[in-house]
Amino acid sequence: MNVEISEVTRRFGRTEAVTGVTLTTGAGVFGLLGPNGAGKTTLLRMIATVIPPSSGRLRLLGRDPGEYGPRREIRRRLGYLPQNLGYYPGFTVAEFVEYFALLKEMPPGRVPHAVAAAIERVDLGSKARVKMRTLSGGMLRRAGIAQAIVNEPELLLLDEPTAGLDPEQRVTFRALLRDLGQRATVIVSTHLVEDVGAACGEVALMDAGKIVFQGAPAELTARGEGTGAAGDAPLERGYSAVLVAARSATAAAR
Amino acid sequence: MIFGEQTAGNRDDLPDSGQGRCQGDVDLDRVWLGVATEVWRRQPGPTERLARLTLRSPGLARALVTTPSLLLGWVIASAVVLAAGMLATLGTGTPFVALAAPAVAAAGITYAYGPGVDRAWELSQSMAVSYRIVLLVRVLAVFALNAAMGLTASVASGTAAAVTFGWLIPMTAVSALALAVATVARSAVAGASAGLTAWAITVLSVHSASGQVIAAITSSALVLPYLAVAVGCGVVAWFATGAGERMS
Repeated sequence: MNVEISEVTRRFGRTEAVTGVTLTTGAGVFGLLGPNGAGKTTLLRMIATVIPPSSGRLRLLGRDPGEYGPRREIRRRLGYLPQNLGYYPGFTVAEFVEYFALLKEMPPGRVPHAVAAAIERVDLGSKARVKMRTLSGGMLRRAGIAQAIVNEPELLLLDEPTAGLDPEQRVTFRALLRDLGQRATVIVSTHLVEDVGAACGEVALMDAGKIVFQGAPAELTARGEGTGAAGDAPLERGYSAVLVAARSATAAAR
Repeated sequence: MIFGEQTAGNRDDLPDSGQGRCQGDVDLDRVWLGVATEVWRRQPGPTERLARLTLRSPGLARALVTTPSLLLGWVIASAVVLAAGMLATLGTGTPFVALAAPAVAAAGITYAYGPGVDRAWELSQSMAVSYRIVLLVRVLAVFALNAAMGLTASVASGTAAAVTFGWLIPMTAVSALALAVATVARSAVAGASAGLTAWAITVLSVHSASGQVIAAITSSALVLPYLAVAVGCGVVAWFATGAGERMS
């Protein structure tokens, strides 16, 4: 298993953003769904080794990120697209992708080819020598995806990857996700249910810091059948039904 | 090509890739990728090549030369301030270079790295090259550059040897304070402001107590407090940058 999370909690001051999450996943595309503030980004940042958990156990790619050496190995094999992609406006797309390839400690001789391949995979070839400051939101997102996949990661974490992409780009991005998921563990955090339905083999639904559902998209769809839950598509109705049930259970427990 | 069905790439500005001529078994995407690899390949500049050799890490070398406070604009601005200090020193006899150098270095160091400065801060924290090491290397480089410029300006202005070297310790303390505030407050502006304010208060208060403008630099009684501030603030900065480095 590439990701093994056990009873992980993350607090920021008095606020508990993630509460006792347990999750295990191997190769494939894993969708992390949930409303805004559900704790998806915090969970993803912990898996990206950006922030430590307040408590609980995390094991990534068979290694303990709590130790320096294993953490460095994990980071070499990791691809991460944050929700808010910071970039250097004076860099070209190729320089931007190359910068992170070097920071991931890829062998320098392999970097130029890997950079070209990553840029081509996100269809930014025509913008490779263009400054980042001139790119549209969707292009910036694709540049961010290119830096995330440049090292052919074994663990790829994408936070709202389709934000800013037009419908055609989203469709092709899902194909890229499915392709990447054949070899790697791809965790996609999103609030767009249709992305999950189209690309993910497994999905977890988070609400108020907890995982309230985990299973196949078809199982999530089934939860919405006959419930009269809100939503335009079957998967959306399943999403709404699970959220309503989880919140009712929480309210009843109080 | 997976992302997008259209043919990608600005192929018109590249050497002939054989597009439109290759038939049969030739994989045009493969050919194009080979060409793109060569055309988009970036040649590191002399500073980066030297840093690669010294640091033995291409990633660290690249991170070093991308800090704002090592870019030409910053270096020129620092040099101008110290040159003005040198002229003022020559004109008045007061060692303004020694008074300006700590402030210049403190401002430069706060712009070496951090969430308010490094736009890719979040991404940098998930990289194999530790951002603490990046910070350390950048801070040392900025400090060394500012120290070298300050020494040059001091020597050129003919200041006494004690004063020439005396400001190095206050410079370390003020730089460490500025860095600590910048990392804790996650703002380079806050760090620079704190460093400049603290240095101004120190100079003025020591001046009012001793009657000498340069007492903040020459007084041996201040060496230990400066060192204590430098060490304390260094520790604060170390912990403030350590969230991702303490995963357990």
